[in-house]
Amino acid sequence: MDNAIMSAASLHRTLPALPGQHSRPVFRSKTRLVRCSNERQVLFDRIAPVYDNLNDLLTVGQHRIWKRMAISWSGAKKGDNVLDVCCGTGDLAFLLSDKVGPTGKVVGLDFSKEQLLIASSRQHSQSKTCYENIKWIEGNAIDLPFPESSFDAVTIGYGLRNVVDRLKVLEEVCRVLKPGSKVSALDFNKSTNPFSTSFQEWMIDYVVVPAADIYGLANEYRYLKRSINEFLTGKELERLALNAGFSSAKHFETGGGLMGNLVAVR
Amino acid sequence: MLRFGRVLFKEAGTGISKTLSEILVCPLSKQPLRVCEKTNSLISDSIGVSYPVVDGIPRLVPSNGKIIDDEEASNSNSAVDPDAVKNDHQRCSS
Repeated sequence: MDNAIMSAASLHRTLPALPGQHSRPVFRSKTRLVRCSNERQVLFDRIAPVYDNLNDLLTVGQHRIWKRMAISWSGAKKGDNVLDVCCGTGDLAFLLSDKVGPTGKVVGLDFSKEQLLIASSRQHSQSKTCYENIKWIEGNAIDLPFPESSFDAVTIGYGLRNVVDRLKVLEEVCRVLKPGSKVSALDFNKSTNPFSTSFQEWMIDYVVVPAADIYGLANEYRYLKRSINEFLTGKELERLALNAGFSSAKHFETGGGLMGNLVAVR
Repeated sequence: MLRFGRVLFKEAGTGISKTLSEILVCPLSKQPLRVCEKTNSLISDSIGVSYPVVDGIPRLVPSNGKIIDDEEASNSNSAVDPDAVKNDHQRCSS
């Protein structure tokens, strides 16, 4: 509790200005590392308007398949209360909404206000009434604002790689899951196969970044290669989940080895 | 029917549903939050912090929180947790 009070004491009065409040560009050079949480938040705010279009373009629509698989693995079913962490513009939350139906509840949490605004407008522009079961929360994955054992399933789509403290996020996810329930975390796969790694890097350099450049976001998507390099392999993710308190963990490779899905049981 | 309508209007004014406030806790202390209709925010009495609600989306990143001083605590108003209101009055009168 003392730590919480100390954190609260430093909240509003001593928080440094966000990078976006200055006139200098956020990213100074191609090799600048996007290290801290604030810079990542700014990054995701910047790519928010084109995020969905680029996902479709870069994966030729296949990201929709991987996301449906992630939902399946989560075990979410009709009537469940479910959480999507790092929900972004809401792809997984909308799939969960269909899955749990009107008697279920979906909470989508993200630290990017811009991504949440897009998610919210997508929700209201759809004619599907079952999307009324979705609530959006601006929050940090390392400090989830939910009581213990709140959810029947949790999903994380392309989020675990981007958080600064992955162990803490998994500990928090474990805390808010009901015993016996699962987290399903979909992300790029950090392969131990040198050919897969080379192919992945080639794709980023010669397909992803040029496509992002069309939208003026080349620097933001160059971040991808470094962040995959700094990510964990499937085995390392399984170990991390067990360290975080999950009773079992398994990592599945999908998308021809480009993508991976961690499934862990509380 | 009229009472139900009043409840809906009240919820629309606060920008946050009671259902949502019931499933949320303070991200730092993990203690319950109470809705402050006057300031359209969620109050964590355990650590004396308020979190804003903007466009119906609660902003519960810890850095969005604002420390409530005693004057604000006595002006904030919520019908959800009477014990919290009692504590506020005691703090202001001490």
